[in-house]
Amino acid sequence: MNSNLQLDLHPDADSLSAFAEEALGAAEREQILAHMTQCSRCREVIYLAQKAAEAEALETLSAAPSGRWYRSWRFVWVPAAALAAALALAVTFYPRLTAPAPEMAKIAPQSEQAAPASLEQASAGAALKPAPVVATNSAAGGTPFTAPRRPPQEFALQTAPSLAHATKENYAAPSPSVGTVQMRTRQQSPAQFNPEPAVDAWLQRQRATGAIAASANTTQASPESMKTAMDRASANRSVPSFAPVSNRSMPAASFGIGTQEAKAGSAGSHGTNPPKLPSGLAAISTATTQQRALAIDLAGALFLSEDAGKHWQPVARQWTGLAIKVRVQSGLSGAVFQLTNINGSTWVSADGKTWTVQ
Amino acid sequence: MGITPSQHVEDIASAPESSQLLVPSSPLLKELWREAGAAAYGLDQQNFNRILYRVGTARNYGLEPGATASRKQQAAFFRGLRLADLVLAKACASGHEGAWEHFIAAYRQPLFRAAIAIAGSETLGRELADQLYAELYGLTARDGVRRSPLDSYKGKGSLRGWLRTTLAQRHVDHHRRTRRELPLDNLAEGHEPSAANPRPQKLPAELLLLAKAVVETLERIETVERFLLAAYYIDGRTLLEIAPMLHVHEATVSRKLRRLVAGIRKQIVKSLLGYGLNKRAVQEMLGADPRDLDLNLKKILQISLPDAFQEKAAL
Repeated sequence: MNSNLQLDLHPDADSLSAFAEEALGAAEREQILAHMTQCSRCREVIYLAQKAAEAEALETLSAAPSGRWYRSWRFVWVPAAALAAALALAVTFYPRLTAPAPEMAKIAPQSEQAAPASLEQASAGAALKPAPVVATNSAAGGTPFTAPRRPPQEFALQTAPSLAHATKENYAAPSPSVGTVQMRTRQQSPAQFNPEPAVDAWLQRQRATGAIAASANTTQASPESMKTAMDRASANRSVPSFAPVSNRSMPAASFGIGTQEAKAGSAGSHGTNPPKLPSGLAAISTATTQQRALAIDLAGALFLSEDAGKHWQPVARQWTGLAIKVRVQSGLSGAVFQLTNINGSTWVSADGKTWTVQ
Repeated sequence: MGITPSQHVEDIASAPESSQLLVPSSPLLKELWREAGAAAYGLDQQNFNRILYRVGTARNYGLEPGATASRKQQAAFFRGLRLADLVLAKACASGHEGAWEHFIAAYRQPLFRAAIAIAGSETLGRELADQLYAELYGLTARDGVRRSPLDSYKGKGSLRGWLRTTLAQRHVDHHRRTRRELPLDNLAEGHEPSAANPRPQKLPAELLLLAKAVVETLERIETVERFLLAAYYIDGRTLLEIAPMLHVHEATVSRKLRRLVAGIRKQIVKSLLGYGLNKRAVQEMLGADPRDLDLNLKKILQISLPDAFQEKAAL
């Protein structure tokens, strides 16, 4: 005899649905659970009802216009983060680019000082934006502006930190400030340096193509300002960046999040190299302590490294929602990691492996 | 729809006139009545009071059977009910036109969607939903009185959840009924011992001890743990499926399951050592082929329960 037939009496639909909706008191819940332990029929009913509820919830989400913002929220943070990173970069580099650089006089060729008047007038207003645009202009097919002491890819590294490490391959960055400009590794000796014709030609091409029409401040940049940016940026090479190692078409500034989060950690970042995660995806957020490092990749997976970022291992998911941020939090018992999901809920972990909701 | 039920809301309450808790002038009753929107369906406070009384006594106000609810507990129970859904269901069951219009607008499509999700196909789902829909409207007549399954809704869970669960019950019952009707020849072979593979008549002494230890251990574990074992090992459900039933994360289910299995093993070892076996013998015994044990884990997990449910599932 089938043991399930021993019960012809089952909880009614109301009790079962209340059980599924967690609307029962402790006593009633215990009764239902005890019954379900021995009744495969009622277990099956609950499974199916749960399945229907999930299907309905999915359909409701996809049908309701008010739900769209929520569904797309997980992707909204990317452009938002890009904007924030761009602002942070602007705040960081603007004073440096506009401030006079005494050492520039030593390294700048004489020809640079004799820049066209129009460029000189505009140089005061030229802030951050010309630098990455001037870095190379292979899209326009012209001769790129080349620095006398450094190869152009180095210049690109400094002036566009979010694109660092991407210069070995062409990188199609969707960032509006970079546009479709592609970077090219090209060595050029100081003897070849002749900025004036190059700048003039570049400006003419940019005006012709309209690439620099978006901002009046960026259309006329003097070689001084460009070189200042170069050297200033060169002096700040240690700015950490977790740019992708390959030419993935990701928003450039989104990688800056990892930088910010790593800096936010009490122990700082584990270096300027981007973490090579087992998933092959770029890290969007990292945090490090002495030897432990945590990184969240673009898929929201968390990885732990116990050898300062050399080897990474995935951490079993113990949180709900999509993990978007990890940071080091100083507490009474020392530094702990804190993970934040897309809903803003936080989890903490002392070792990076076991997480508890905060 | 073709059929217009003529029964009125006032007729549905067959509960005693006197209520243990509420009287028509009670401020709580007024508050609940207003909150439920009962006036929209022509349900006065007196009949609303009867409905509440019937629901409360049927569920013993959410307390264990035999316990007596205080007024405070009763009030808390009533406040926890889905009053709007409850009133709508009762009004529909009694054939109130306005209630049916609201029900159709709010629940018809979700009912079909749920049925399709449960049945796994649109054809079967629509058939399932249509069948229930007809019953909800009160096609079933008993003793000359039209009855609707909606009358059994007691407002503890949501009406939408009740509809889903009712659909699932119908589907499972239908599936089991048709499965039982299969010819005996079609039953899965191998369930019964064949001549070529006879079941051992008698277990060796050490296996008997092991079986005893297993039974004793499983009998001791808690209800939730037994449920976990049944769902995971007997039903073959995934952690993802089990987690929402217990309202925990699947990682929690995984952790609980791992701990549970480890605990059971530890307890079995302890029991065997208690029987006087040495550690080596115990280890050897744990390496025995489970098929050699004539144990029905399904039965062991299904320990008898208190008479909690006095109600037939299917209406």
